[in-house]
Amino acid sequence: MRRVLLVMTAVFVISLFAAGAFAEDFKLSIPLPLTGKQAKFGEMMKRSYEMAAEEINAKGGIKKKKIVLYFEDSGAKPETARAIVEKLIDVNKQPVIVGEYTSACAKAVAAVAEERKTPYLIVASADDDITRQHYKYVFRQNAVNAHYGDGVVDFLRRVVKPKTIAILYESSAFGTSGAEAMVKDAEKLGTRVLMKERYEAGSVDFRPLLSKVKAARPDVVYMVSYVMDASLLMKQIKELRVDAKLFAGGAAGFAIPEFIANAKDAAEYVISATLWTPQVKFPGAREFAEKYKKHYGDYPSYHGASAYSALYVLKNALDRAKTWTPDKIRDALKATNMKTVFGPIKFEDREGYQNQNFMDTLVIQVQKGAFETIWPAQYASKKYIYPIPSWRERR
Amino acid sequence: MTSAQLEVLLQTLIAGVLLGGLYALIGIGMTLIMGVMKIINLAHGELMMVAMYIAYLLFSLFHLDPYLSVFIAAPLLFLLGMAIQKFLINPVLKVESILPENQVILTVGLGMVLANLATIIFTSDYLSTPVDYATKAWYLSDFWRSSPIELSLSYPWSVSFLIAVVITLCLGFFLTKTDLGKSIRATAQDSEAALLMGVNVDRMRVITFGLGSGLVGAAGCLLIPIYYLYPDLGGQFTLIAFVITILGGLGSTVGAIIGGVVLGVFESLTATYIGMGWAPVGRFVIFVAALIFLPGGIASLLQRKRFGR
Repeated sequence: MRRVLLVMTAVFVISLFAAGAFAEDFKLSIPLPLTGKQAKFGEMMKRSYEMAAEEINAKGGIKKKKIVLYFEDSGAKPETARAIVEKLIDVNKQPVIVGEYTSACAKAVAAVAEERKTPYLIVASADDDITRQHYKYVFRQNAVNAHYGDGVVDFLRRVVKPKTIAILYESSAFGTSGAEAMVKDAEKLGTRVLMKERYEAGSVDFRPLLSKVKAARPDVVYMVSYVMDASLLMKQIKELRVDAKLFAGGAAGFAIPEFIANAKDAAEYVISATLWTPQVKFPGAREFAEKYKKHYGDYPSYHGASAYSALYVLKNALDRAKTWTPDKIRDALKATNMKTVFGPIKFEDREGYQNQNFMDTLVIQVQKGAFETIWPAQYASKKYIYPIPSWRERR
Repeated sequence: MTSAQLEVLLQTLIAGVLLGGLYALIGIGMTLIMGVMKIINLAHGELMMVAMYIAYLLFSLFHLDPYLSVFIAAPLLFLLGMAIQKFLINPVLKVESILPENQVILTVGLGMVLANLATIIFTSDYLSTPVDYATKAWYLSDFWRSSPIELSLSYPWSVSFLIAVVITLCLGFFLTKTDLGKSIRATAQDSEAALLMGVNVDRMRVITFGLGSGLVGAAGCLLIPIYYLYPDLGGQFTLIAFVITILGGLGSTVGAIIGGVVLGVFESLTATYIGMGWAPVGRFVIFVAALIFLPGGIASLLQRKRFGR
């Protein structure tokens, strides 16, 4: 009886090994927020990772290995994200980490990854500091905060050439840093900052502030606002007939579909910075956006595109890595130079950043109630409309 | 003063008065409850949030104009307020407790429950009722072609303001001319004397809480076309109502109206001439100043005048 058992165990163990040699899966656990305030973005990224994994597997996987994705919910809490990643590296022996969303979480994960000498690919966290700490193992494919407005600034320099600007921003870390960046950019453009006014997010009435803007007559009104303040601002600008050569938003509240839905015709001609749009002319971007929309009923934002591309970047690196040890994967990632749905990706060391991908940020404009990509010209889906009509001329 | 400066000043005052009218309607409900029950209802903003969700649902399901939903949301809130007083606050009033103001703490809890219920049902997404007339306005230059300055008057804000005025007038009539209103005022002035005069004080309390809730419900319907909606919006407006109640003189409705307008104008002036980031600071400067220099609020000024003291 005992011998039979022994033989059976041996056969079982051998068959396990044999099976393993033929179809070993590449298991990848991704930390991201699936509950809490950021869950919406986590969900979008999860779907995009899954779409990419499906496509890669359909084409034979990575070095004939099937990618199997697992998702770990960090709830956008840095301490949870940290614990998840410690487990992934120490227990699961996962040789590479991809994921997370908020900058706070990515910061925590980056510290763990660097300490454990495991490469970490950041997908959508924008805090400048993360890739400025001389980390060797931390890579970032999305643009940093400081470069977020590059597209808009370039558009101002080449097309609008404004002499004066008024900056309105919400009194949060996000709003303040956005306004500071614009003040610096205005200096470079030779544009005089007429006013730089802070407001409390969630305010009901912007009219006093806006009548002041109206009296100052700036060429450009630049606003850094979140979701609903953005549409409220534009609605009241329309109502007060505050005329400027251009109304520009610093991403966030101005670059999401809710902005047009709420501000309606007041949103027309407003431009905003963004990292990616469904119409952008990167190979595969359109297809990805349409496929995503078909499955989930809505176009993805840059978060989705970046997550989707991240798996391709990883596949590209793993294909080139001789062995899948953290160090070899790190070297392969460092040598990345490829085109993705999210744009060309190359990890460079410059301007004090390490392993940072520098990308062209885009400018979108609301035209006939829809976002159109207008700048840089090579990515444009429609030509920009400038100069814009004054409020009185609009019906 | 140049015409541009004059334009800014006048536009600021217009904005302040319109905002103040809305503030007054938000504050008056709290003042009423404060007067009769001697408690601050800290779930006031959350009750408004509930009314706004009702207006939102009516708009998105039946395309009912938010202004018309006043007639549905306000009565519903009236019933909700009565139920809260009858089944939650009245039982607590009767219990001996270590804390003297345990009903106030109850309203805090109630506010939290309402906000979290809204989060569960509607998620924390921002919602709004995008009406067609949202950005419509009247312009001075349309009426007076050669006007040196340009002023605008927002259509939805003016409508909200007018409805707020009408509601306030109706309330004033109700409180001064009807039996029920007089009983409520009697309860507010001296509940024991009112009891001795044969007023059913418990019932007056239930009706007052309903009335206060209904008023803030109406304010919610007037606010949603010009603002937006999310579950945690209550706290911000509870705070505003609280400042108005203190400023107006605890329990005085006339005081609350004047207080609301004063606060609206003051906030707008702060926003224009000091900076919009300072508007919340201005609010609390008024609050503290009222507590120190005018402890009885605007009501005490009115009274002083009336008695010629």
